[in-house]
Amino acid sequence: MTTPPTTTPTRFVDEDSTLDEHIDNLGAPRPSRRPPWVTFMIVAVPILLLGAITFVVASEGDRILNGFGHNPPAADELVVERVQFHPGEIEIEVVNPQAEAITPVMVVVDAAIVNTFDVEGGAREIDNRDSRTISFPYEWIEDDPYMIQIVSSTGVPTEVEVPAAVPAQSVTSRGLAWGALIGILVGFVPVALGLVWLPALRQLSQAALAGFLAFTAGLLAFLAVDAAAEAFETQAHLIPAIGGAGVVVMGIAVSMVALALVGRALRRSAEAVAGTTGGSAALTGGTLALLVAIGIGLHNLGEGLAIGSSFATGEASLAIALVIGFMIHNLTEGIGIAAPLARAGRRLHPMRGLALAALAGLPAVAGIWAGRYVAGPLFTTLCFAIAAGAALQVIIEIVRSLRSGNGPGFSSAHVQGGFAAGILVMWATGILAG
Amino acid sequence: MNTRTVRIMATAAATVTVLSITIAVLVLLLASNSSAEQGAAVSGHGGHDGTVTAAADDSAGASHEDHASAMMGEEVSAPGGPNETDHFLNLPPAKPYQPGRVREFTLIAGEHDIEIADGLTFPAWTYSEPGKDASAPGPTLRVTEGDLVRITLKNEATQPHSIHAHGIHPSDQDGVLDMVEPGEEFTYEFTAGPSGVQPFHCHAMPLKKHISKGMYGTLIIDPKVPPPPADREMSMVMNSFDTNYDGENEVYAVNGRAFYYAKYPIQVKRGELNRIYLVNMTEHDPVNSFHIHGNFFDYHPIGFQNPSTNTDIVTQIQGDRGIIDLRFPTTGPFMFHAHQTEFGDLGWMGFFEVTE
Repeated sequence: MTTPPTTTPTRFVDEDSTLDEHIDNLGAPRPSRRPPWVTFMIVAVPILLLGAITFVVASEGDRILNGFGHNPPAADELVVERVQFHPGEIEIEVVNPQAEAITPVMVVVDAAIVNTFDVEGGAREIDNRDSRTISFPYEWIEDDPYMIQIVSSTGVPTEVEVPAAVPAQSVTSRGLAWGALIGILVGFVPVALGLVWLPALRQLSQAALAGFLAFTAGLLAFLAVDAAAEAFETQAHLIPAIGGAGVVVMGIAVSMVALALVGRALRRSAEAVAGTTGGSAALTGGTLALLVAIGIGLHNLGEGLAIGSSFATGEASLAIALVIGFMIHNLTEGIGIAAPLARAGRRLHPMRGLALAALAGLPAVAGIWAGRYVAGPLFTTLCFAIAAGAALQVIIEIVRSLRSGNGPGFSSAHVQGGFAAGILVMWATGILAG
Repeated sequence: MNTRTVRIMATAAATVTVLSITIAVLVLLLASNSSAEQGAAVSGHGGHDGTVTAAADDSAGASHEDHASAMMGEEVSAPGGPNETDHFLNLPPAKPYQPGRVREFTLIAGEHDIEIADGLTFPAWTYSEPGKDASAPGPTLRVTEGDLVRITLKNEATQPHSIHAHGIHPSDQDGVLDMVEPGEEFTYEFTAGPSGVQPFHCHAMPLKKHISKGMYGTLIIDPKVPPPPADREMSMVMNSFDTNYDGENEVYAVNGRAFYYAKYPIQVKRGELNRIYLVNMTEHDPVNSFHIHGNFFDYHPIGFQNPSTNTDIVTQIQGDRGIIDLRFPTTGPFMFHAHQTEFGDLGWMGFFEVTE
């Protein structure tokens, strides 16, 4: 079989065109040859047929499945969203992720059946996708670990481990203020301080600056893997029906696409100034710094969530040493934002510097608040997945920038070494944050 | 940085601010919600005006405490209505020894959902007598030493089963080498002996599975020479249920129902002699125990041919059994439970209510 090598239609990608052009070309309307209703029918027919087939499969489902093999019933397992310790009472927020209703009949705390419990709304049966609060009187001891089981009428226990009982806290302005302070210390302050190095960075040679930009990429690679690992860890607390791993992949994909679109918008605006077109130029300077700040900001949202929820679950007594560890860790992120600015030889207005630091650092505050007071495992998983996707997309932008710039080659020692150094420094400072 | 970049940056910063404010508002809303609920609950309890005060919180806590401390009576969660285990608590009297007597029983091996704790059903494998409800433990059979015993096992289940009774009998009546296949039946025949309380159970492989699923019961072989007569005789099987098949029990019970005798205390009379035929068919855990409060009892391992000990705790390994002679000198409720506290907390706890 042979393919004619030279007759490639022009609307396909040629070697000089970019991916963006390719996408634009795909979107271009083609001359219409059929009346619209015919097109409509062509579109509708597979959907109608699918509907008909689905109807048959649904009505004959048992016969089909039993013909193939025995289909075991779903485990009557709930998802625990949150455990709250009130004076003399424990409250557990659960969701029923299964296709059928689940009736909790027994609550077991530390291998002892509790005599009585209430399901919010009176009836014990929890419908598919319903969220309810199960509460029962219990003289819990502060800081003690608890192992709680909610047993269904079919004897399937949903287990939740509480590392340490922490009194449920209603939101107070005081709590919010202290949370904000921790968030600012952990997120905003170190990033802002890292940006102060910008004038010094600007003195470096082009090769060294490219190295620093690669350092940023390395840093982000570390954060991406770190966030993805967190996302996969928290998704394990979700019931399989939600498709935890899928949620992570979806979060990563959505945030990559979203950030790619932001990058595209920034690129267009840069081109509008430079008078070029095509939306394909690599991002540099302020625009790249902005993108890095967004990526780091989303990561700090996740970091804040981790800190906040560790307070909520009593998982880790977040010592002040740990806050200091996070601060040193995040100082590096300031350099990460400064690197593309330095490479472009830009100066930074202090107010813009503060804005960038806020963008990268303040999400930690939101994360701490959300983690402390509201976030469940699904929210947390999504946040970490989004952070991972954002970091990956920013790496892509940095790599583009490194390839297109007039500095040393992509495979130079500066660039490769910088990338490795970024990972290494994040790892080393990460040890401080436990 | 050109103006458009700055604009986008400002937009992004604004977005972050808006996001933070949104989360803060959400948090505040949620908090006010939960305190409103708290207020409603408090007013429901004590007729307060719904405002949340420290005092109102305390009163809610106190009412919870009363509720939680209910260990006996109708407040306790347990499966079924009263008197549903009376066939275990009021055994028919022993038949005097009579040479050459034949005793015939029929047991059906079946699969039944049984309620082992309040609202909790367990898909058990059971022995049951025709026309009677299935339960785990299965029925208590009572014969006299020397009787010719014929037990017909009808297998209406989907698995092969057998009856392996403890005692002295020929090898081919041991229920180990030949299984009764589904839809088939077999009659085990042996001369009852030695006297005492003997468990019987299925001996199909895997043994652990068949026992933990509920295939066991009690065989009482009364001695030819009767022991001192008791006023009341009951059988108790200490058992357990692994509801999610992870090799650990979720529920422990005596006679198959968690906390049943805490909800419906066993009514006994002061000064009367209660004789309890106690069998341990707990699976997974090696031992189980019976402990009585405020009293002691005489315990004969297996039967009256063995000397008794006077104690308030008896420990039995899997398959072990013995006879408890128990007399209450004073009236009032007296707790009994496994002294492995975990078993007690998971359902193996009850009360005797002693009256004049």
